[in-house]
Amino acid sequence: MELFANLAHGFAVALSPINLLMCLIGALVGTLVGVLPGIGTIATVAMLLPITFGLPPVGALIMLAGIYYGAQYGGSTTSILVNIPGEATSVVTALDGHQMARQGRAGPALAIAAIGSFFAGCVATVLIAVLGAPLTKLALAFGPAEYFSLMVLGLIFAVVLAKGSVLKAIAMIVFGLLLSMVGSDIETGASRMAFNIPELADGLGFATVAMGVFGFAEIIRNLDAGAGMSRDLVQQKITGLMPTRKDLMDSAPAIVRGTILGSILGILPGGGAVIASFAAYTLEKKIAKDPSRFGRGAIEGVASPESANNAAAQTSFIPLLTLGIPPNAVMALMVGAMTIHGIVPGPQVMVKQPDLVWGMIASMWIGNLMLIIINLPLVGIWVRLLRVPYRLMFPSIVIFCAIGIYSVNNAPVDVVLAGAFGLVGYWLIKHDFEPAPLLLGMVLGPLMEENLRRALLISRGDWSVFLSRPLSAVLLAIAAGLLVLAVLPTLRAKRDEVFVESEG
Amino acid sequence: MSDTPSEAPVKSILQKWVRGPQDFVGGLVMMAVALFALWASSDLQGMHGFSFGAGTAPRMFAVLLLLLGGAVALMGLLNDGPHIAAYSWRGPLFVSAAIVFFAVSIRPLGLVVTAFASFMIAALGSEETKWLEATIVGACLTLGCALLFPYVLGLPMPMFPRFLIQ
Amino acid sequence: MMSVRSLAGACLSAFAALGAFAVPASAQNYPTRTITMIVPFAAGGPTDVISRIVTAHMAQTLGQSIVIENVVGAGGTTATTRAARAANDGYTLVTGHMGTHAASVPLYPKLAYHPEKDFEPVALLAGTPILILARKDFPPKDLKEFVAYVRANADKVNAAHAGIGSVSHASCELLNSILDVKPVGVPFNGTGPAMNALVAGQVDYMCDQIVNAVPQINAGTIKAYAVATAERNPSLPNVPTTAEAGLPAFQAQAWNAIFAPKGTSPAIIATLNAAAIKALDDENVRKRLLELGSVIPAPTHRTPEALATLVKSEIAKWTPVLKPAS
Repeated sequence: MELFANLAHGFAVALSPINLLMCLIGALVGTLVGVLPGIGTIATVAMLLPITFGLPPVGALIMLAGIYYGAQYGGSTTSILVNIPGEATSVVTALDGHQMARQGRAGPALAIAAIGSFFAGCVATVLIAVLGAPLTKLALAFGPAEYFSLMVLGLIFAVVLAKGSVLKAIAMIVFGLLLSMVGSDIETGASRMAFNIPELADGLGFATVAMGVFGFAEIIRNLDAGAGMSRDLVQQKITGLMPTRKDLMDSAPAIVRGTILGSILGILPGGGAVIASFAAYTLEKKIAKDPSRFGRGAIEGVASPESANNAAAQTSFIPLLTLGIPPNAVMALMVGAMTIHGIVPGPQVMVKQPDLVWGMIASMWIGNLMLIIINLPLVGIWVRLLRVPYRLMFPSIVIFCAIGIYSVNNAPVDVVLAGAFGLVGYWLIKHDFEPAPLLLGMVLGPLMEENLRRALLISRGDWSVFLSRPLSAVLLAIAAGLLVLAVLPTLRAKRDEVFVESEG
Repeated sequence: MSDTPSEAPVKSILQKWVRGPQDFVGGLVMMAVALFALWASSDLQGMHGFSFGAGTAPRMFAVLLLLLGGAVALMGLLNDGPHIAAYSWRGPLFVSAAIVFFAVSIRPLGLVVTAFASFMIAALGSEETKWLEATIVGACLTLGCALLFPYVLGLPMPMFPRFLIQ
Repeated sequence: MMSVRSLAGACLSAFAALGAFAVPASAQNYPTRTITMIVPFAAGGPTDVISRIVTAHMAQTLGQSIVIENVVGAGGTTATTRAARAANDGYTLVTGHMGTHAASVPLYPKLAYHPEKDFEPVALLAGTPILILARKDFPPKDLKEFVAYVRANADKVNAAHAGIGSVSHASCELLNSILDVKPVGVPFNGTGPAMNALVAGQVDYMCDQIVNAVPQINAGTIKAYAVATAERNPSLPNVPTTAEAGLPAFQAQAWNAIFAPKGTSPAIIATLNAAAIKALDDENVRKRLLELGSVIPAPTHRTPEALATLVKSEIAKWTPVLKPAS
């Protein structure tokens, strides 16, 4: 049983005092940074990368990995408490999580996010250890055509998760797609709609737009409502910190489903984790007995996507560990961390660096255990934070967001852009357009366009590749089916929805 | 609440002809955004042979948004819907001012001055603000940020005004 | 309320007035405070890693810390523009590379700086050889067959690159212009995804820096036809040079060098250059650079004048190759 020998070796490495300490520091820093609005995982790992240069390589990578999944845990906290998703993957968590917080159920929402993440982390760790190598084939089976079809499916998810008018949700997705077009064209390098502003040359950052349409817009809207909102959040009776039995019963199957979806989609390079969280939410909403609860504080709407994004965060290590190819920006930074220590990861990294690979895999499980131990008691503190009067809370959030956005690129223009998107978001709220589909459109837009163009370049303009490649055809078929399911009931119920949605 | 805006005259005209002004105006603005995007991407190359040009996808999405915006506006015209919600000026103004101040001064003035001043400007956005309390919290927050970001997280960020360092 | 607002206004104008002061820096006891090194690429990339290895040693020599500021965007030109506009007091430097200080000239017609006119060269740090790579089941067995095959099937083959302005894009364009072919260029977002596509066999060939390719070549997931330098690389002793394999015209190397804004005093440049040379002579620094597959410049290539010559020749080399592409 080579696997057990490997895992035992991994645990021996990960349980050494220095590596345990690194794992703890990584988990703590990750949680901290995840909680701070504005600073996403990529920016954090990039910022902290230099600190690890003085450490032994295994310890350095254990710490960076800890920051990565720690930030996934922490990111859900800001989504739930103040409706600011720091990462594309926590956008959906904000939908129901923040509604729960407004209903005085921030505690259960935070706790279930932590429990779901822990479960997902454990499963995904085992998956990496047992099936890492065979699953690599999935990453290689996805060519441009398959990615394009996956992105189409992802956009359909965004339609389904809208709680209001489907038409307006689609309009928001397309608005997001349009925003994602700003920047340099991948094929020719031509500047698109950037108006010669150098900071726009690489497009609008996700953090910039997310902070704007969620964070700043939410603050402005709350100020707008004046005292009403702050009383809402503060004085409302906070009903229990921990999930009830019913919460746990409701969430358990959602956590399992989210974990499975996240584990599979996480392996796919680029965008896998984002789609995982949206897919998990969509699935829950579709199979729920009463889908109308979603967007109004359904606990499954927190449990499932949180499990999915954490599972995906873990399984996204698979291409790195088995192929030596970084599937996303954070993993590219991990490769940087390895190269600076003289280890260049490749297909043989598992054989050549058993300490590193198995130590890291073991540390992931330990890190997840640490995170749940850190996070469950923190729930009480976070919830107490909600009692801080809003008149003091909102300027603090503004400052944290501004520093966070500035730190991503050290660019003051990004801060101004986020402010502008705050006003755009405020307008969108006033006209009852939902910002979540916009963000998904923005994240998936470039991936969709790039892969469409790549697929057409390689096929020399033959559009049939999307249907002739089986995997791609299956994905498109699922997308078509979902779209029909999403549009049919809303066509009937449209009139009622308009009135339900007019509260805010 | 002093911020309740006065009824705009436009609104009353809208109410006469339009059954769902919120969607109607929303759709029109989306159409305007789409037209702006069409104009902004008009200098870009279109399809050449089988491959997309730089302008193909932006124009495709802009046309799609134009159609969708039109559809949303049409729905607003034909279906009963909510009126345009009230806007206030105070929150948006001071929060935006705080953000712009932060962006302009972070490089020349450093984190300490900028964070505190932006905090106070943002605090102007709420009429509930108590100044003594806000000053104390603002100072503590500034201190916290000054320790947290440059030292704990190691962000390369100027701390004090440039003219004091040199 | 009014008073608060007017107070805020007064503070604003006071700050603005204070910010206008600029104290001239002195070159005599340079450096007296922390130096900022702008790196135009993300932390962890080859340019970042090389900058960190060298500046860590330079900081010891200079007795002041050197802070790396990673500013990404537009093929590194965003950061380089910022560096060009920075105060020329020796406290803001930039790690330039083949892309930012040569290939950018033909690629970006609206470039806000000129590599020669807006910068003082300080020192060349390292060169990174470029390889001709192909998917493992690509028919040609060696470079000669490759040349013949690509020429014969120019309309069928796909060449991957890591995005407009990247080293792999520029060098692939150079190779294609030497072979006089125009295959379909498939752009990817960075080296990682491009390598993934090559390993998966979705594209046929690409040119890339040695760093990421070595483990894949050793594992047999891709193959290398030649290295585009004068000598073989110690990390890939079995891969011939382009001259040995029959394509001597294809010579390309990515390089990294330190630049200071124009007008930085010669004394400061000399101090920095000496510190950089000292770092390149340090055994530990050399060892780590060599592990990356880098080539450490010979002593005659380490002077500011040599770097100025290199920049001039590189601009001349890339301009005709990249001009029609943009």
